[in-house]
Amino acid sequence: MKINVDLNRCTGHGFCEGLAEDIFEVGQDGVAHLLDETPGEDRRDVVEEAVAMCPTKALSLHEEG
Amino acid sequence: MTQMAGTGLTTTASGNPDRPYDDVDLSTRAFWSTDMYEREKSFAVLRGRDTITWHPPFEDQLIEDPADHGFWAVTKYDDLVEATKRHDDFLSGPGILMENLPVEFVESAQSIIGMDPPRHTKLRRLVAAAFTPKQMRRIDEMIQRNARDAVTNLLEKAQANGGQADFVAECAELMPMNNINDMLGVPDGDRQRAMHEMKVATSWSDPEMAGDTKEEVLGNLFRAIAYCHELAGGLADERRGNPTADLISGLANAEVDGERLTAHEIGSFFVLLTVAGNDTTRQSTAHALQALADFPEQRAWLLEDLEGRMPSAVEELIRWATPIITFRRTASRDTELGGREVTRGDKLVMFYSSANRDERRIDRPHELDFSRSPNPHITFGGGGIHHCLGNQLARAQLRAILTELLTQAPEIRPTAAPELTPSNFFNIVKRQQCAPRP
Ligand code: HEM
Ligand code: SF4
Repeated sequence: MKINVDLNRCTGHGFCEGLAEDIFEVGQDGVAHLLDETPGEDRRDVVEEAVAMCPTKALSLHEEG
Repeated sequence: MTQMAGTGLTTTASGNPDRPYDDVDLSTRAFWSTDMYEREKSFAVLRGRDTITWHPPFEDQLIEDPADHGFWAVTKYDDLVEATKRHDDFLSGPGILMENLPVEFVESAQSIIGMDPPRHTKLRRLVAAAFTPKQMRRIDEMIQRNARDAVTNLLEKAQANGGQADFVAECAELMPMNNINDMLGVPDGDRQRAMHEMKVATSWSDPEMAGDTKEEVLGNLFRAIAYCHELAGGLADERRGNPTADLISGLANAEVDGERLTAHEIGSFFVLLTVAGNDTTRQSTAHALQALADFPEQRAWLLEDLEGRMPSAVEELIRWATPIITFRRTASRDTELGGREVTRGDKLVMFYSSANRDERRIDRPHELDFSRSPNPHITFGGGGIHHCLGNQLARAQLRAILTELLTQAPEIRPTAAPELTPSNFFNIVKRQQCAPRP
C-alpha cells in the first residue's frame, strides 16, 4: 500500500503523527510528511485509522501494482 | 447586526420566533452560576430527549439582537462529534461563543478558532509544528522545570502562611503561564500582566473581575484586549528583523499567500494562544485537586504507581473537569442534525460537559475512574478541523504537574470550597485554598 498526503488540505493537526510517529511527521512547514510512504501490511490498521481520523481528509491509501 | 463577509450570516441573529422552546433552562444566569454537578442534572434530562433541543438566547447579554431567537443545544456525544466534523455545514466564522459579544472584541480575540477554511487552514499551519507530539518531547525539560517551580512556589508560600495557600494563584496558573510564554517568547513581567488581562477578558459574567455595569464590563474587555495587542505588536516588530526561536517571531515573519500577517492578525492570534494556553490548563489542574480529594480510593490507586498510571489518570481528570464547556457553530444552510431540521443561520451550542457524561459512549460516566480504558472523551473537541492545537501540550503539562505535586505533597488537600466564576464558556475555579502538607 502507498500513502498520499494532499498538501492543499492538510492542516498539520498531527492526528496521523500521534498514531504512527514512524510513518507521519508534521514538519516546520505545518503539514504532514511521510517518513515511510509504503509501510508494510502489518501497519495497515493504523494507517487506515489515520486516514479515517484525519479531519481534513488529506490522507488516502493506494494499492500498489 | 454585523454581516460576516462572504457568508451573508450575522454574528448574532438566529432561528425564528415560532419554534417552541424546550423547558429545560440553559439560558439564565442562575443556571450558569451553579456548579458542574448541579448543571449535569439538566443535561442528563436533555440527553434523554435523544436529539438536539431549541432554547431561548442567554438572558441579559452584553449585545442584544431582536433577531436572536435562541440556539440548538447539542448535548449528546454522537451529535457533538457529527456537528464538529461537518465543518462545511456548521461554521465557526459567525461566532464561537454561546453569548453575543461585540464583534470588534471577538475579532480581536479569536483568530483561527473563529475562522473557516481556507483561511483557517493556512493560518493554523503557521503554528502547527510547535505543538506536535515529537515537539512536546523536545520541550519536555522546560515543562518539567516549570512544573517543579510551580510546586516549589506553592510549598514555600504555604510554609510562610501557616500551611495554607491559594492553589490557583500559587501553583495551577504558574506552570501553563510559563510554558506558553516560553513558547511564545514573552518576557517575565509581561507574561503575568497578559495572563491577568486575559482573565478579565474571559470573565465577563463575573463582577469582581470585569465590573458591575455593562459599560464597565465592555470597557474592561476592550482594555484587556488592547493591552495584549500592543504587547504582541511590540514584540513582533522587534523580531521581524531579528527572529528568535519562538512563536511570535514565527508569526511576525510568516507569509500567507505572499503577504505578511497584519498587526491585527498577529494580535488576535496572540490573544487566542494566551487564553487557550493559560486558562484551560489552569482549570484542569484546579479541578484535579478537588477530584483527588473527592475520590480518595482513586488517589490511593494512582499513588501506588504514579509514573505508570499518570497518563490514564490525566485523561480521566480532563474528562471530569471539561474546562471548556461550550463552543458555538452556525448553520451555513438548511440541513438536519439529530433528526431535527436546522435552518440556515441557526446557532448550535455544543455542550462538551454533557457529551463527556453521555452514558451511551462513556461507561459509568459519573464515576471518576483513573483506569478507564478506552477513554473516548471529547474534552479537546469532536475530532474536527478546530481540534485543540494544544492538546499534547496540555496533556504533557498535566502529567508533569500532578506527578510533581503528588511526589512532593502526596497528602495535599483543599481546605475550603472552590470559588467559581460563573460562566457558560470556561469551567473556572477562581481561587482554591489548600493545605499542601496537612
Ligand atoms: C485541558 C486543556 C485544554 C482543553 C480542554 C482545550 C480544549 C479545546 C477545545 C474544545 C477546542 C475546540 C475544538 C473544536 O472546536 O473542535 C480547542 C481549540 C484550540 N485550543 Fe485547546 N484546550 C486545552 C489546552 C490548550 C492549550 C494548552 C493550548 C495552547 C496554545 C490550546 C490551544 C488551542 C487553539 C489554538 C485552538 C483553536 C484551534 C483551531 O481553531 O484550529 N489549547 N481547545
Ligand atoms: S491528520 Fe490529516 S491534517 Fe492532520 S497532519 Fe495528518 S494528514 Fe495533515
